Amino acid sequence: MLIKCPHCGTRPVEEFTFNGDASIQRPTSNDPATMDQWFDYVYLRDNPKGRFDEYAHHSSGCRAWLVVTRDTQTHEIFNVVTARDYAKKRVAS
Amino acid sequence: MPDNFQRVSPLADIAIQGRFGADHGAPGVTLSVRHPVLIATVIARKGKAKALADALKSWRGATVQWAGAEQYFLLDKPFDEVRKKLEGLASCSDQSHGRVIIRIEGPKVRQVLCKGTPVDLHESGFEIGKSALTQMAHVGVHLTRVGRDAFELSVFRGFSESFWEWLTEKAEEFGYQVI
Ligand SMILES: [Zn+2]
Repeated sequence: MLIKCPHCGTRPVEEFTFNGDASIQRPTSNDPATMDQWFDYVYLRDNPKGRFDEYAHHSSGCRAWLVVTRDTQTHEIFNVVTARDYAKKRVAS
Repeated sequence: MPDNFQRVSPLADIAIQGRFGADHGAPGVTLSVRHPVLIATVIARKGKAKALADALKSWRGATVQWAGAEQYFLLDKPFDEVRKKLEGLASCSDQSHGRVIIRIEGPKVRQVLCKGTPVDLHESGFEIGKSALTQMAHVGVHLTRVGRDAFELSVFRGFSESFWEWLTEKAEEFGYQVI
């Protein structure tokens, strides 16, 4: 599997460390009443079949955090952006 | 801050000068250790990436190597000078003791390096002055093309001995010399 890092160009998957679902968002409240949200955030993950946004750290390259959008079934990669751009886009939308 | 430490290369007793490996014809590659060398990491502060890039571009006598997004290795300038010059633009740290730079050059340089890295080092896409961060033999390597057939490989000091062993082993079939 080849991943096109926005900084380094096309690199093999071995250079990356994956860190799970990028689409989940950290709850902003510390109110105990939001404990369910925190439980979801910390422990619960979907296991989607198909398109998936996933954190990837270019650990053996430029050390940037990226978000790779790939198909979990076929491993086709649709898009790679920096985690910074991903977060900015989420704030904007 | 005065630098009272005597800088000893970790390869001082290992990178022995001479001719090794295949002994017919001219050596395929020539290896040397750049020592001592001044190295600083420079990382742009928030929103200062453009200003930092401009400041580095116009700095005479400094060797600037790309080292990740908005990050650089800055060579050949004393650290105090680096910090003073880039105050407010970048976070800097002195890596002169922390990294080892091995220079490798010669007609077989790409054949040696391609045993370790998937990065395409053909000069059509990897020009002189360009840098890449990659891994060779599980060691993180910062490599820079410094000439048509010449590269500098920068590794963490603690990995330099095993990296040197790996590198020289890969060069054996072409014959190599250490200067
Ligand atoms: Zn990268």
